[in-house]
Amino acid sequence: MAHSTGSVTHLERHHAHHFKTAHEEFEACKQGMWIFLVTEVLFFAGMFMAYAVLRVLYPDMMKAAHQLLDWKKGALNTVILITSSLTMALAVSAAQRGEKQKIIRYLWMTLICAGGFMVVKYFEYAHKIHEHILPGALYQYKELTMAKVPLFLSVYFVMTGIHGLHVLIGMGVIYWLIRRASRNEFGPSYFTPVEITGLYWHFVDLVWIYLFPLLYLVS
Amino acid sequence: MSDQHQNHQHHILSNSMAFRIFGALIVLTVVTVGVAQIDLGALNFTVAMLVASVKASLVCMFFMGLKYDHKENTVIFSTSVIFMAIFMILTFGDLLTRGDVYVKDLSKIIPDGAVAASNQSKYEKPWVSNDELVSAGKTLYTSACVTCHGAEGQGNGPAAAGLNPKPRNFTAGEGWKNGRKPSQIFVTLTKGLNAMPAFGTLSGDDRWALVHYVRTLGPHAGEVDGAEDLAKAGVGAGGAGAAEKSIPVGVAIDLLSEPAGKPSEN
Amino acid sequence: MAHTSSAHGSNYLNHSHGIKSWLTTLDHKRIGLMYFVVIMMMFLLGGIFALLVRWELFAPGLQFFSSPDKYNQAFTYHGAIMVFMVVIPLIPAAIGNCVLPMQLGAKDVAFPRWNLISYYVYILGATIAAATLFINQVDTGWTFYAPYSIRTGTSTTLVLLGAFIMGFSSILTGLNFIVTVHKLRAPGLTWDRLPLFIWAVYATSIIQVLATPVLAITLLLLVLERTIGIGIFDPKLGGDPVLFQHFFWFYSHPAVYIMVLPAMGVISDVIPAFSRKPIFGYKAIAAATFGIALVAFVVWGHHMFVSGQSEFANFVFSFLTMLVAVPTGVKVFSWIATMYKGSLRLDTPMLYAFGFLFVFTIGGLTGVFLAVVSTDVHLTATYFVVAHFHYVMVGGTLLAFLAGLHYWFPKFSGKMYNEGPARLASWLIMIGFNVTFFPQFILGALGMPRRYADYLPQFTSLNQVSTVGSWFLGVGFLIVLVNIILAIRNGKPAGDNPWGALTLEWQAPSPPPHENFFHEPVVTEGPYEYRGEKALMGGNA
Repeated sequence: MAHSTGSVTHLERHHAHHFKTAHEEFEACKQGMWIFLVTEVLFFAGMFMAYAVLRVLYPDMMKAAHQLLDWKKGALNTVILITSSLTMALAVSAAQRGEKQKIIRYLWMTLICAGGFMVVKYFEYAHKIHEHILPGALYQYKELTMAKVPLFLSVYFVMTGIHGLHVLIGMGVIYWLIRRASRNEFGPSYFTPVEITGLYWHFVDLVWIYLFPLLYLVS
Repeated sequence: MSDQHQNHQHHILSNSMAFRIFGALIVLTVVTVGVAQIDLGALNFTVAMLVASVKASLVCMFFMGLKYDHKENTVIFSTSVIFMAIFMILTFGDLLTRGDVYVKDLSKIIPDGAVAASNQSKYEKPWVSNDELVSAGKTLYTSACVTCHGAEGQGNGPAAAGLNPKPRNFTAGEGWKNGRKPSQIFVTLTKGLNAMPAFGTLSGDDRWALVHYVRTLGPHAGEVDGAEDLAKAGVGAGGAGAAEKSIPVGVAIDLLSEPAGKPSEN
Repeated sequence: MAHTSSAHGSNYLNHSHGIKSWLTTLDHKRIGLMYFVVIMMMFLLGGIFALLVRWELFAPGLQFFSSPDKYNQAFTYHGAIMVFMVVIPLIPAAIGNCVLPMQLGAKDVAFPRWNLISYYVYILGATIAAATLFINQVDTGWTFYAPYSIRTGTSTTLVLLGAFIMGFSSILTGLNFIVTVHKLRAPGLTWDRLPLFIWAVYATSIIQVLATPVLAITLLLLVLERTIGIGIFDPKLGGDPVLFQHFFWFYSHPAVYIMVLPAMGVISDVIPAFSRKPIFGYKAIAAATFGIALVAFVVWGHHMFVSGQSEFANFVFSFLTMLVAVPTGVKVFSWIATMYKGSLRLDTPMLYAFGFLFVFTIGGLTGVFLAVVSTDVHLTATYFVVAHFHYVMVGGTLLAFLAGLHYWFPKFSGKMYNEGPARLASWLIMIGFNVTFFPQFILGALGMPRRYADYLPQFTSLNQVSTVGSWFLGVGFLIVLVNIILAIRNGKPAGDNPWGALTLEWQAPSPPPHENFFHEPVVTEGPYEYRGEKALMGGNA
C-alpha cells in the first residue's frame, strides 16, 4: 500500500460508512457484480431457450438458415472480443499494481477492440437489412423461403442485438474508467470499478463465445 | 463468513498467464471453426458446446479470477447455470413429448385435418371387424353417442329433438351421406358431419371400434373396403388408422393463426 | 439486552429536514418508508378496481361498467397493479428495507445508492404502467397471454415496458439484500442465529435475482412481437404461444413465493415473540424456506394443464407441485408447535398471525385440488382458482404484512397505535376476507368461469354475499389506515421494545438513530431465546 500515489486518501474517500474496511467494501461490490451477472445469464437464458426450441424442433431449417450469416465475420468478431478480454485483464492487473499509464493504455485497447466489434457488426447488419434478411414479419428474402427461417433471424437479431447493446454500454463504462484513471483515481488500494467492469466485460465475451458457434456454425 | 479471515492480498493475474490463456482461447476458436467444416452428425453440436464451455471456464477461472476468489462467488455464478438448465429441461419436457405433429412441418398436415402421426394399432387390420372391437365400440357408443343417436341407434336420443337435420338412424340401410363402408364411416367420425363434432382426437382403434359397432345396428351391410377406399381414408397399408396423437396442440395453434373471423370448418 | 429507554434526541426521522432530504436519502429506513407510502397508494388504486369488479358482479348483466370491455380492463388493472406494484414489493421492499439491516446489526444495506435508485426505478415503471389508465386501457389480464396480447389494440406495450422496468427494481433490491446478508452481519451473528425473517427475505431475494430476468426477456420479446413482429410467440408467424406461457410462468410462479416467503418470515418472527417461547424447529423452518424457494422453480407447468402442454409434462409438473406441500407443512406445524403451551399474548400482530395461519392453510389445501390434473381440468379458469390465489396472496401475504406493520410500527415511528381500533380492523378484515372469497370456491366448483362481466342467474346469491364481504374488507383496511395515521400524529411513545422481542432491531432506540445503533451490537445467542417470561421490557402496558 505504501508506494501508490496518495493511496491513503483514496482509502478514506472510498470506504463507505457502513463497511468496516475498504476490503470488505471491495468484496461486497465484487459479489454484487457476480450476482448481477447471474441475472444477466438468466436474461439471456430466455433467448437461448427460444434458440433451442428452433434448433431441436427444426434442425433442417436451422442448417439452411444459418448460411444466411457470414461465419467469417463472426469468427473475426470472436477474435476481437477475446483480444479485448485479454487487454481488460491486463488493465485490471495494471490497476492492482498501480501502473497508471498501463491502465489507460490497456483500457484504450479494450475500447478500440469493442469499437471494432461494433463496426463488424454494423457491416453484418447493413448487409442483412439491404437484402431484407430481417426478423419475423419483416423477412422478405426471396432466395430462401423455407418455413420458420424468419424465426431464426428473429433469434439472431434479438440475441446479437441485445449482446451488441451490452457492448455499447460496456464501451461507455470503459471510457468513464479511462477518465477516472487519468485523474489518478486507481491504485493498489482502490481499483474496485476497474475490477467489476472487468467482470462485466469478460461476461460479454462469455456470451459471444456461445453465440458464435450456436448462430454461425450450425451443422 | 468462513472465508473472512482469508488474506486480504488480492491475487494479481500475471501478464504471462494472461497471454497464455489468450493463446488457448484463440486456438480453441480455430478448433471450433475447423470442426464445424467436418460433418460429424450430432457430434458436431456436442463438440462445439464442449469447446465453448472450455473457453468459458478459462475466462471465468482466470480472467474473471474465480480460481483465486471466494468460493461463494463460484457458487453464486454456478446457480445461474443450474437454473437456466431447469428452465430448459422442463420446457423441453413439454415440447418434446407433444408428439410428432409438433415436430414435422405443420402446414403439410393440417389442411386435411386427417391422419397425422402414425400410432401403432393393437390389431393388424383394425378396419376389419372382430368381436373385441365391436364390444369396445359398444362401450364407447353408450358414453359418447347415445344422447343423440339413441340407445338403439335410431337417431332418437334425448338431444335429437333440437337437431335439424336429425341424427343418422343407424338401423336404416339407406341415406348415408358418406356411404356405409367402414372406411367411409371412419372418415365421417374423424371429420364430423353437420351438427356432429369431429372425433379425430379418439385413438384410431377407438374410432374403428365405434365404426364396427355402429355397423352391427343396421341391416347387414355387405360393402367391404377395397385398398382404394382405405387409401382415401388415409389408412395405407403401413399406417393403421392412425390417431391424431397430439394434434390438439397443433390444431389449436393452427386455428389461432387463422385470420380472425374466418369461420371454421364445422 | 435490556437497553436504555428512548431518552435520545436525534433519530433517522429528524436527522435531516425537508422534502429534499427524504427524496435523496440513502438511509434504508427512509427508503423503506417511501416504498411503503407509494405501495399503499397503489394498493388503494388496485383496491378501488377490486371494489368496482365486485360491484359489477353484484347481479347478472351489467351494473357499473358500460361494456364488458370496460370490465376486462378493470380486472386487468386490478391484477397487474396488485401483483406487480403491491404484493411483490410489499414485504421485501417496504418492511424488508426497514427491518433487514437492523436485524443484521448493520448500519445500512450493502449498496445504499442502488437502493435509492431501485426505488426510483420502481416509481418510473409504476408511473408508465399506471399512465395507460389515461391513454387507452389494457384488457389482456395481468398474464399478457400471447397471441391476444400481440393483437389487442390497447396500450399493452406501455404496460409491458412498465413491468419490465419494475423488474429492475425488484432485481436490485434482491441483489442488495443478498450481499447485505453475506457481508454485513454483526459480530457473532452466525448463519444459525439469523432471525427467520432474514432467512425468508434472503431466500426471496434469491428468487428475485434468478426469476425476474426471465420475465424481463419475456416482456421484451412480447414488446418486439407487438412492434416488429418477431414471431417467436405468434402462431401466425410460425411461433408457439404455449412457449410464451412457459416463459411467463417460469417467473410468475416463483413470483408467488416472492410474495409469500417474506410473509412466512414475518409470521416466524411474530409467533415466538407473542408466545414467549423459542421457535419450534428453527433449522427446519430455515430449511423449508429454501425448500420452497427451490421447488418454486420446478412447478410452473401447473398453470398450463389445459394450455396444450403435453400429458407427460402435466404429469411431471403435477407431481412436482405436490412437493410444495412438504416444506409448507413443516412450517405450519412448527408455528403451531411454537404456540403450544406458550404464554400467548393476543395483541394485534398476533391476531393477524392467527388469521394468516387459518387463511393460508385453506389457500394451501385448495392448491392441492389445482395441482391434481384431473380436478384442475374441471376447475381451471373458474372462480375456484380466483378464490385459491386470493387466499394465498391476500390471506397469506396481506395479513402477514398487516401483522408485520403492527409489529414493527412502534419501532420505526416511535409511537404506539390505538389497540382497540387495530383489533376491530383485524376482525373486520378476517371476516370480510372470508365472506368475500369463500363463496368463490363454491361458485368455481359449480362452474362459474372467471373473467366475465356477466354470469348465469343461479350464481346470483353467492356473488352478492361475496360483494358484501368486499365492503367489510374495504372498511377494515380504511380503519387500519386511519388508525396508523392517527398514531403517527399523536400516538403515545412506544418505548424501545414494547413486545419484549429479542431480535436486534429491538435493541435500538425507537425510532432508531440515523445509523441504527449507537454501538455495534454483538450477538451471543439465537434470536428466539424466550424463556417463558411474561414480563415485558420497555413500557406500554
